[in-house]
Amino acid sequence: MNQINDRTTVNGKKSRSRVLEMSINGEAHEITVKPRVMLLEAIREKIGLTGTKDGCESGTCGACTVLVDGQPTLSCITLAVECEGKNIRTVEDLADGENLNYLQEAFLDQGGTQCGFCTPGMLMSATALLEKNPKPTRDDINKALEGNLCRCTGYNSIVDSILQVSDQGVKPRLL
Amino acid sequence: MILYDFEYERPGSLKEATALLNETGGDAQLLAGGTDLMPNMRVEVVTPSLLVSVSGIEPAAPEKCADGSIRIDSLTKLSDLVDAELIQNELPMLAEAAHTVASNQVRVMGTLGGNLCQETRCLYYNQKHDYQFVEPCYKRGGDCCYPFPGNDRDVCWAVYMSDIAPVLIALDAKLEILGPDGTREIAMADLYTGDGMNPFTLGTAEIIQAIFVPPVPERFGWGYHKTTVRGGLDFGTAIIVIVLQLAEDGETCCWAKIVYSAVGQGPLRPTTTELSMEDAVLDPALIAVAASQEISPLPHHGFNKGFLRENIRVYTERTLVSAIECAQGKI
Repeated sequence: MNQINDRTTVNGKKSRSRVLEMSINGEAHEITVKPRVMLLEAIREKIGLTGTKDGCESGTCGACTVLVDGQPTLSCITLAVECEGKNIRTVEDLADGENLNYLQEAFLDQGGTQCGFCTPGMLMSATALLEKNPKPTRDDINKALEGNLCRCTGYNSIVDSILQVSDQGVKPRLL
Repeated sequence: MILYDFEYERPGSLKEATALLNETGGDAQLLAGGTDLMPNMRVEVVTPSLLVSVSGIEPAAPEKCADGSIRIDSLTKLSDLVDAELIQNELPMLAEAAHTVASNQVRVMGTLGGNLCQETRCLYYNQKHDYQFVEPCYKRGGDCCYPFPGNDRDVCWAVYMSDIAPVLIALDAKLEILGPDGTREIAMADLYTGDGMNPFTLGTAEIIQAIFVPPVPERFGWGYHKTTVRGGLDFGTAIIVIVLQLAEDGETCCWAKIVYSAVGQGPLRPTTTELSMEDAVLDPALIAVAASQEISPLPHHGFNKGFLRENIRVYTERTLVSAIECAQGKI
């Protein structure tokens, strides 16, 4: 059986920590991590950017989505050491200080956020989609967001937000 | 965080990776996309002491070889496979199968080779041992199959759920495998042992390097169907792949292959039914009944055998109809 007796060492020795350089939201960071630390924990605990959320921890819910070199990646199942030298963008990169970007404004206009836990992942998946395809159809959006679960089930307003920001005839709701 | 300590290496080539795996023996694992390995390591289903990462190796784009077959690097990301024009034009079935895998994020991270080598799955096995209410099951070294207590034959009933493997089997793909003693080539179907405890025939230090898919013949038709509970982001309940070639009259079937995945410890084929389809005008309803009776689906994830058999019967018929229409050029 895969029973581990000693969880803190490998074959009697501590595993080697590594110093990683990575760019997070355009800022160069240097962090020291063990191989077993995930990218999510490095971002939340070592860097201190807590916008990225820790949902299922098994790569299912998509709340932890960040962009690694422009590609939406599940940071809860990516080792931090795998991202050495990569360019990482989290949800904090979207707003410019106090000013939200168009996508975030569209989420507000449409009521695309309820409890807000899935929103960072939704925003990053949507950002990746819009960078690849500036005018996605409803089907494209559904396919791109299929890895982001929203348990408040507000999917329609999230899709509407992305249609609104890509200027496809969806008007802001009057709130 | 993964709850135990392990070492990590990132070699610059697959050769160095095999050497590292060979040195460490069975206690090392290859890490490609990690979308299957990382959740399994979190629940301690697999507990390697060394991860050999291949993320530093850039995969070659899919290309056409001199003999017309298409070479796909095993490290190709699934999203690149979906987007590659060569694959979309020449092997649309492979692009569609890759498109149905999990979610956008998983397709961006996961590799083709990793998808083929994914661990078999079972509701009981794929959870942390602390949560399992009784003793470990067969695959964890115990002496009972707790999800299926009737299974007392010392075999594991975890199912192999790759979406892409049945397509490559149907297309007669060949795998180029890199080991410590050089490369060898095997047929795709020979990758699987059909044993849930140890589903692959790969040695400890062997890595799938490339996949070669031969060109498809004329009047070739294909059908692909993946049943899921939720539509997106889901492992298949049953995956059905049918390929066939029609004769010049557009009615008679020259040969056909049916491959099922997610209903056994490896991909399954109803070989007797396939033989009966050779040089015959096909009646999809009869063939669907014969095929669903011939294979024995394993119950998994809450679906019982009767449900799976009926599902396979219904969708084999529909997939076969669409494969025939595809060969006739109607779709």
